Amino acid sequence: MAALSEEVLLVVKRVRQRKQDGTLYLMAERIAWGPEGKDRFTVSHLYADIRCQKISPDGKAKIQLQLVLHTGESTNLHFSNESTALKDRDAAKDLLQQLLPKFKKRANKELEEKNRMLQEDPVLFQLYKDLVVCQVISAEEFWANRLSINNVDHSLSNNKQEVGISAAFLADIRPQTDGCNGLRYNLTSDIIESIFRTYPAVKQKYGENVPHNMTEKEFWTRFFQSHYFHRDRINTGLQDIFSECAKQDEKGLKSMVFQGVKNPMVDLLSLEDKSLDEGYGSNSTAPSTSNTNKTVKENSNSAIIKRFNHHSTMVLAAGSGKKADAPNGQACETSSTDGNSRDSDFFQPPIKKVKIQDVIEYEDLHRENGKKTVALNLKKSDRYSHGPVPLLPQQYTTSQDIVNSVNCIKQEIASYKPCLTQVMSSSTASCAIAALSPGGVLMQALAQQAINQMVPNDVQGELKHLYTAAGELLRHFWSCFPVNTLFLEEKVVKMRSNLERFQMTKLRPFQEKVQRQYLSTNLTGHLEDMFQMAYNKFHAWQTRRMMRKT
Amino acid sequence: MASEDEVSLLVIVVDVNPIWWGQQANREPQFTLSKCLDAVMVMGNSHLVMTRTNKLAIIASHCQESHFLYPCKLWKSGDGHGDENASTSGDGKYELLSVANDFIAEEIKNLMSRSKSEVKGNQTDTLLAGSLAKALCCILSTKMLTGQEMKSRILVVKAAEDCALQYMNFMNVIFAAQKQSILIDACVLDSDSGLLQQACDITGGLYLKIPQKIALAQYLLWVFLPDSDQRSQLVLPPPVHVDYRAACFCHRNLIEIGYVCSVCLSIFCNFSPICTTCETAFKIPLPQVVKSKKKKLKPST
Repeated sequence: MAALSEEVLLVVKRVRQRKQDGTLYLMAERIAWGPEGKDRFTVSHLYADIRCQKISPDGKAKIQLQLVLHTGESTNLHFSNESTALKDRDAAKDLLQQLLPKFKKRANKELEEKNRMLQEDPVLFQLYKDLVVCQVISAEEFWANRLSINNVDHSLSNNKQEVGISAAFLADIRPQTDGCNGLRYNLTSDIIESIFRTYPAVKQKYGENVPHNMTEKEFWTRFFQSHYFHRDRINTGLQDIFSECAKQDEKGLKSMVFQGVKNPMVDLLSLEDKSLDEGYGSNSTAPSTSNTNKTVKENSNSAIIKRFNHHSTMVLAAGSGKKADAPNGQACETSSTDGNSRDSDFFQPPIKKVKIQDVIEYEDLHRENGKKTVALNLKKSDRYSHGPVPLLPQQYTTSQDIVNSVNCIKQEIASYKPCLTQVMSSSTASCAIAALSPGGVLMQALAQQAINQMVPNDVQGELKHLYTAAGELLRHFWSCFPVNTLFLEEKVVKMRSNLERFQMTKLRPFQEKVQRQYLSTNLTGHLEDMFQMAYNKFHAWQTRRMMRKT
Repeated sequence: MASEDEVSLLVIVVDVNPIWWGQQANREPQFTLSKCLDAVMVMGNSHLVMTRTNKLAIIASHCQESHFLYPCKLWKSGDGHGDENASTSGDGKYELLSVANDFIAEEIKNLMSRSKSEVKGNQTDTLLAGSLAKALCCILSTKMLTGQEMKSRILVVKAAEDCALQYMNFMNVIFAAQKQSILIDACVLDSDSGLLQQACDITGGLYLKIPQKIALAQYLLWVFLPDSDQRSQLVLPPPVHVDYRAACFCHRNLIEIGYVCSVCLSIFCNFSPICTTCETAFKIPLPQVVKSKKKKLKPST
């Protein structure tokens, strides 16, 4: 029956399945159907098991929904409520359409992953065939160690990147004439988001006014009507809700100018229009920032420029991804986008140095500095220049012996005449040849070398597979020790039976096959030793456990 | 069949340690230095006769010097000089061979007469490393002179024992030969030589300790006359197992398992927390001692 904590998303009455009336329930993780009058589900499928859903064509009399599972089975549901059948069916279909993809991805991903791994690595595939298909080991144990490695990689690649803000988003709105003296502004959610991120004051106003005071449409209409949006912000009516925003922006701009740019390499204040002399440049009067001296035209120009600058700084601030709440916060960000620390006032010279370093040096052109090394300080370096002590004891010769030997040789060689026709007798020569022929004294080692030439290639291949499979099983077995938990205890017992089964089903037949081929070499001796070792260990552990219990 | 242009140079290094050979004369009178030299000459002649372009060099390795028995320094290209010696032995022998043999005999006589009887105690070892180095130099100079493709190998006929003091020089020679693809073969008369085993293994040559010294010529011709290409077609004695164990720095014993300092790579047979060569201190974490719960025994009264 349904678990108490399951959330029921949709209930559809009068749904027939296999000619029985009943009710269809769609839960958070599965879909279930129970017959009328009974309180248990006869049909229950997890969304993860469902491969796809099919609906009967619209023209048909019977309104049906079919669920096809991964295993190939299918369940037919007939919506038999006269009036609402189509609506019910469509509601169920829509819900399933939303839910299935969520679960589908998870299940498929794993299977896909497994398939991919098996296809990529033929050794793994062979191991899988040997162990899982022949039921020596269960599939979960096989995949236990291998899948975990890959799941980590997937999670890392899921980091979403933030979308930046286009600086021209306001210009992209592009009002179109309506025909009769009106303007149509097309606002998409992207543009709205950009506006909110760039001008948090507007977002604030939006939050205050919508939906209490006005609808969204009204808000935006007012926004576009207000002079805040338009170029010349000279006349700001008191009724305008955006006049506050304009004031905030002015404040923000002023504080930004006050803070200035912290980059020590840039001196913005020296960028002034200087004229050489009268007539060479702009006005002879020094430009001032006070508004009163300027003409109307100058005022509007400077206003536009101010707004452009402000807009750019806001876009940059928003694009850096930090939250901008107060004008102070904005100003902080603008300075941080320059790459300076917040304590730049205190650390002005080092920052400058860092900046200069940055500009002068390119990382790629640096020599590989490598890690810090410790100087090698050899006290007895002559140790390296001596070889090992010879194993055989040196023969001691007295100086008399030496003198005698040398004299003897001198005499002998003084009368030396090469006699090349009597270098050796034929019998000695034949002895030597006999020793050098196969089977002779000097050739004994040759006979032992040919094992890899005597065993046929397919036997060698099978032996390799056996070793891989046995290695895998033994690895599972030995990793259980020391046996601390109940799970490991069970696993150890299971592995021992697996090992025995493997030995019976694979190892012994292979051995018999090898023997039948008259190969006297003991190819499986080592494998048998390894298994015996494992059995001994298991036996020792078991006896110790018995003793502890009694 | 080797191509006409390929030059094959064989350098035979003969160990003529007078002390060993003098004692050998007492031990086995039927095989003395003279017999050995005869066998070597046969080998040299056979090599020269195999192909017209084959070249030969013989170095005698004494305990006081290494001397070229053949060819002589005066022979720039190795073909003249027959006129002066005019060894008209009259037996119709190939002149090159007769001249070579005579020359070798004369040189060894000179060498032995030069050797001082007053041999100091520490000078009783054969200067084998030096002779091998000279052989390498000879090969290199011949390579430069001929300018053609040359295949060369060194055959060492060793009599006396290894000298432990020459170890480093020996190893350097071996690696130099390996780099130049020069084979080093070894024919050992008396006691096994670990150094030569290593040399043969590293350079790809053959090592053979012969059971019968009197049949030296036969062994030389059977095993060491064919060059490396032909050896792959023949069934020759299999390679021996070489002892590559390292020697510990403290006792100079050969060890199989030891401790290596990760800073200076010196090998020790026993663990010590401070490496004596580079004086680095090592901290080894001790294994965790698990305290087992012991049952409290009731004190017996």
